[in-house]
Order: sequence, then structure tokens, then C-alpha cells
Amino acid sequence: MTDKTEVNLSGVKQSKGVWLVKVPKYLSQQWDKATEKGEVGKISFGKKQGKTEVCFSLNEELTVLDAVGEKDASLQVPRDHPFTMHTVGGQTMAAFSQSDTDEISLEGMVVHRAECRPVVSDNYMKLKKLQIKESTKSPRLSQQLERAITTVFKPVANHNFNVLHDKKKKLEGKMVRAERQVVLDMLFSAFEKHQYYNIKDLVDITKQPVTYLKEIMKEIGTYNNKGAHKSTWELKPEYRHYQSAEEEVPTA
Amino acid sequence: MTSLGSSSSSATEYTVRVPKNTSKKYNIMAFNAGDRVNCSSWTQARMERDMSARRIYGEEETQEGAAGSEFGKKQREEARRKKFGIVTREFKVEDQPWILKVNGKAGKRFKGQKKGGVTENASYYIFTQCPDGAFEAFPVHGWYNFTPLAKHRTLTAEEAEEEWGRRNKVVNHFSIMLQRRFREQERGEDEEDEGEKSGKKKKKSGGRGGDLRIHDLEDDLEMSSDDSDSSMGDDGESKTKAKKDTGKGKKKKKRKSNDEAIEDSDDGDYEGLEVDYMSDESSSSDEEPEKGKPSKGEDLPKGIDEASESEEESEEEKQNEEEAKEEEEEEEGKKTPVQTEKKKKKDSSGESDSSDDSDIEGETASALFMKKRTPPKRAGGRGSAGSSRTGSRPGTPSIDSASTSNTLRAAASKLEQGKRQNQGPGTDSPAAKRLKMEPSSQSPAPSGKSTPQPPSGKSTPSSSDVQLTEEAVRRYLIRKPMTTKDLLKKFQTKRTGLSSEQTVNVLAQILKRLNPERKNVNDKMHFYLTE
Repeated sequence: MTDKTEVNLSGVKQSKGVWLVKVPKYLSQQWDKATEKGEVGKISFGKKQGKTEVCFSLNEELTVLDAVGEKDASLQVPRDHPFTMHTVGGQTMAAFSQSDTDEISLEGMVVHRAECRPVVSDNYMKLKKLQIKESTKSPRLSQQLERAITTVFKPVANHNFNVLHDKKKKLEGKMVRAERQVVLDMLFSAFEKHQYYNIKDLVDITKQPVTYLKEIMKEIGTYNNKGAHKSTWELKPEYRHYQSAEEEVPTA
Repeated sequence: MTSLGSSSSSATEYTVRVPKNTSKKYNIMAFNAGDRVNCSSWTQARMERDMSARRIYGEEETQEGAAGSEFGKKQREEARRKKFGIVTREFKVEDQPWILKVNGKAGKRFKGQKKGGVTENASYYIFTQCPDGAFEAFPVHGWYNFTPLAKHRTLTAEEAEEEWGRRNKVVNHFSIMLQRRFREQERGEDEEDEGEKSGKKKKKSGGRGGDLRIHDLEDDLEMSSDDSDSSMGDDGESKTKAKKDTGKGKKKKKRKSNDEAIEDSDDGDYEGLEVDYMSDESSSSDEEPEKGKPSKGEDLPKGIDEASESEEESEEEKQNEEEAKEEEEEEEGKKTPVQTEKKKKKDSSGESDSSDDSDIEGETASALFMKKRTPPKRAGGRGSAGSSRTGSRPGTPSIDSASTSNTLRAAASKLEQGKRQNQGPGTDSPAAKRLKMEPSSQSPAPSGKSTPQPPSGKSTPSSSDVQLTEEAVRRYLIRKPMTTKDLLKKFQTKRTGLSSEQTVNVLAQILKRLNPERKNVNDKMHFYLTE
């Protein structure tokens, strides 16, 4: 569990009020393109017939839309976005921030909710059309080819992978029987790490021929036919001494 | 929205900045308005991720290495899962809920669950106004809905269903408490010596038993060796009591069935029991609500016996039947505490004579009640010695099998009550009568009730039926092995007229003289004599 982080309540203590604003995706994408300073536009409060109107207008330079794969300079993101304001009715909302260092601080209470809507124009409609087209494109595409593919999947006498495998085998050579004691030592150290082993794994570890290994294993271990650890070898009880995490290996 | 006091149509402009380099990730903490959360009232808050789901996701390694592990097990398990297409979702810390603790240990706790899909189609920004008037917008990375956590213990699904099933039952708390107390006392009695403690306890339990029943049969049944019986008896008693109080038929039925289950009379129990009529004392008779209570008034004792029996049988129990209730043949004493008290009073008020009188009155009352076929309340106060024993009426349907089986219990309870009850004229004959009655299931040994009672010993004995004599003790011990506690129960102070201490002393002396043999049954030392 992570440590309990003390929440910095300075924000709410000062009764800082914040706005929660819902912004369309394209707009937030444009905002990401902003300069270092981060200025993206202006927000203006006006009073029209007694009602306060909030409007956000995007900076000029950010209206250029980098449409994916299409140079359509005429397509522009609309500039003016009036805000639709709501009160925070059925929910009490607060904003909290989490820093990289896992410090949590309560930034403030949400006092208003707003939705950023663009002014609907032809431009906007075209933009939307484009968006819809893109979103309906499926990631998988069926395409008809004019000519058959001849570069891959050529018939091969022997696949590369197999060739390499054979070479490796040749290099290693047949497994040689090592000294019995040596093999025993190897086995005991292996059984220190795990209790149950498959014969194939043992062969892998010890690099001994199977028959020889089986012979040795019959001496010091038993074979589990059934049970949880099926078809595995384990040491005989007198040879093993498992204790929680430690094992003692008796010398044969 | 803060309007910056400008003229009506002029607009005030502020720049909006979206800081790029912010290291802080903003999230929304949403509460339900109904919870009335006021963040400014928080003095201190702690928040952490709820990692309890990690167990589910992280496959626990049974044993890393060493015993029990297989070589390459992990890889094999993984390959197996891939083969079957089992896709386990990763445990992402970011998606785990928050646990928010406000105002320390005694404050509120909240759980904040992440709301999905917030950032998919639209972005949320937090606009804060900076001191210079410009607005800064921070993107919201996550939305967490915080709900308050209950601090009180909540029921699990099984517990909730159980409670739901009990919602219609009206529980008689008083009887339940008494029952519990009685059981505790009994348990305590078993463990303690037969010394004063036991005497005291007997008194207490007797008192409680008095509420329910007072006669030898009960005593017998409550003997320690017959644990099940006694416990059943208790149950029955309490149940009947409850029934009396609440008049719930259900309980009565249950009791009946309990009686059925409990009453296991030994073979020799009924031997030597003098009864007027030998009739089928089957449990079924118990079941029948005593419809045909013949004797209403004339045979007062009879009537009382019947009444007591019918009490047990019938569902309704009337308070007034208390006196009649002396018959505690049925272990299940339907006595209500009120009745018990009344009975006690009666008992205490007089010797056997006076108690007889009161008994008579009680019997009358009970008889009357029997007419109405309302279950007379059993007099709890009376020990087995008191009140008419239904045993005397074998023929009457009212005799329940319970009474039969209750012999032992009745005897046992009688013992208990004997202590409580006043010293009646504890003559040998009443005691003998009572003793005779004990074995018979039919008639819980009535204490040597006098006059109105038929000499067969049925009828309600008043107080002091038992005489603490060596002969009585010998009789008991010959019949069956008993613990000292059981013996004490048989010689209740109310019946014998001795104080608890005296009883203990006398009993000890008697035992010394008799020098009975001992054996251990159920971890309890039992005495017995072989003739």
C-alpha cells in the first residue's frame, strides 16, 4: 500500500473557486499546440440583457488545423466559443491534484460548470464531417492487390530456423556422461531451488543423456505419477530437507 | 461567475493560459450533494490508493522455490492461459479507488471510485483565476466519485436473509433473557461445587424454574446427566413462557415438537408409578390440545393437573393459570413470570396447608381456564412439589407425553424449586408420593399436597413435599446415578423447608453416611447405589 498522503487543504481553506469546463476534443488538441507560454486565447465576460455571457475566443495562430494527412488550409477551427454555464447542483465537486512526487493537494471547490461550444458555421460543419469520416474508418482494411506477392513465403529447402537449430545441435554434440558425483551435485543443487522437476528440465539443466539421468534419479528420487505435480521427479524424503525457505542437501 | 463590474455591454477580457510544464495532474473529486460534504470544514485529510484488489490480480506465488514448487511452473501456467485465451487484466495503480480519511480516526471515510470514459470524447479543464486576472486551464486526468463509507457494522447477505426471515416473529425478549440466564446458571451449576454456590444457584435457577415449572418431573429432567433433556426443558419452558406472553401459537407448536423430541423417558421411569388410570401416554396426547378437560371444578386437583397439562398443550396461555400451573409435568413451563411470582407468593405464603388453599384457588382458576381452553399459565413458582400434577390423570388427554418425559425434569426442577419454596409440611409421605410420581411420566411428583389431592400423589402439592432424609437420597441414588447438583435439585428449599445451606450440609452428611459409589459421566461425578 502506498503511504497515506496528507492532503494539502490550503486550496479549500482559502475557498478558492474553480470552474469545471468541458472542452471539445479538437479544441483541446489545438491547445496542446500552444506555445511555451501557454496562451491559447481570451475569455471575455459580457452582459447582454442582464445575463452574463462568457465567451472564449481562440488565438489566431491556433486555429490552423493540422488535419491528418490532408493539407486543407481552408479548414479552420472555429474561433469563438461561448460558454454555457451551469450551477453545481447535485454534486459537490472539488479539484485535487497529484504531483509527480505523489503529493496530493486540494486545489479548490468547483463553483461553476461550463461547456465550451463552438459557434456553428460552415467551417465547423466541414470540420465535423472530417472528424466523422476519420472515426468511421476501421483500423483494419481490406485491400485488393493487383499482383500477387512474391517476395515472401518462397518455398525453401530447409527453413532458416531449422538450419540454425541443427547447427546448434551439432555444435553441442551428444551429451556426455559426466561423473556420477558431479551429476549428483548438480541435481542436488537444482532440487534446492525447486522441489519438483520434469525429466526434460533436468536433462536441460544437467546436459546428461536421459537414460543415465534416469538411472541416477531412480537412486535418489521418486517419480510422481499422479497428484498435483504430475509426472515430475522429486528427491526421496531422506534426501530432502525443505524448511520454509531453506533446504539442506545431505551429501549422498 | 464573477462579473467584473463593467457596463452592461462591455466585456472584460482575460487571457486563458494552458500551462505546459505543469507537473501536477488534476483530478476531480465528486461528492453527492446529499452527503452534505463541506470541504472547508475539514481540518485534516489523508488519501491513499485502495490496493485491496491487488491480491486478486497478482497471482500469489504459492512458494517461491523450495518445497512445493515446480521448475518452470510459472511459464507453464502462463502458456496454459494463453492457450485457453484467458486474458487477465493488469492491475493498474492509476485505476484503483482512493480512500479518503477526513479529520483523523474519528472522522469520515470516503471511497473514491474512478469514473470511466471521462476523457474519451471530451476534455475537461479546470479554470482557475490567477492573481493577475488571467485564467489558467488545467486538463483533468481523472474523475473520482467519492462515496461515504459506513462505519457501523453491516450485515452480510446471509445475515440479512436471516434477519429478514425473522421479521414477522415477535420475539419475547423477557423470556429469552430468562432462558439465557437459566442456561447460564445451569452451566455454572455444573461446573461449580455442590457447595453453597450450587445451593445459591439452585435457588436462582429454581427461581427461574419456578417461573416455568415446579415439580419433580422437571427436576428429574434437569438432571445433569440428562443434559439434552434439561436444555430442552428449558427451551420448552421459555417457549411456553413466551407463548404465554405473546400467545404465539408457533412457539407452542415448536415447544410441542420440542417436547416430543426431548421427552425420552427411560424404561424404568414409569415403574412403580401409581396412577389412577393407565392410558396411552403418547406424545400424541401431548399434542392434542386438551379439549376434553373433564374435571373442571370438582376435582380440583384433577382439574389442576389437567389444567397444567392442557396448558402445555394448548397454545393460549393465560396468566391466571399460574396457580394451576403447578403442574410442571410438562417441562415446558408456560409459566410467565407473573404467574411464577404469584405462585411463589402462594408458596411462600404458606405451608402446605396454606399453599394447599392457594393451590385450590389456583386450581379452580386453572380449571376455569381450562374450560375456556386457554392454556393456563403455568405457575412457575411452584416446584414440582406444588400444584396438581397431571400425572394423576392419566386418562385425561391433557396428560402430555411431555409430562411423562418430564418426570425427570420435573423432579429436577422440583428440587430446584424445593429450595425456593417455603418449607411445606415436608412429610415423608408427600415426599414418597412425589417420588413415586417422579418415575411416572404421567404425574410429576406432586409434592405432598394435602387434602384436595388424591392420595395418589397427583394433585398439586404445596410447598414442602420433600423431606431431605437419608432414605429419600438413597431412593434417588438407587434409581439412577445423580450428581450432587441433581440431588440438591430434588430437595429444594421450598419443599424441604431448609435453607440452602442447611440443605447442603444435611445432604453432605447423608452422602457421607451412605457412601455411594462414584462414576464419571460427561465429566461429572455421579453417585449411585446398588441395592
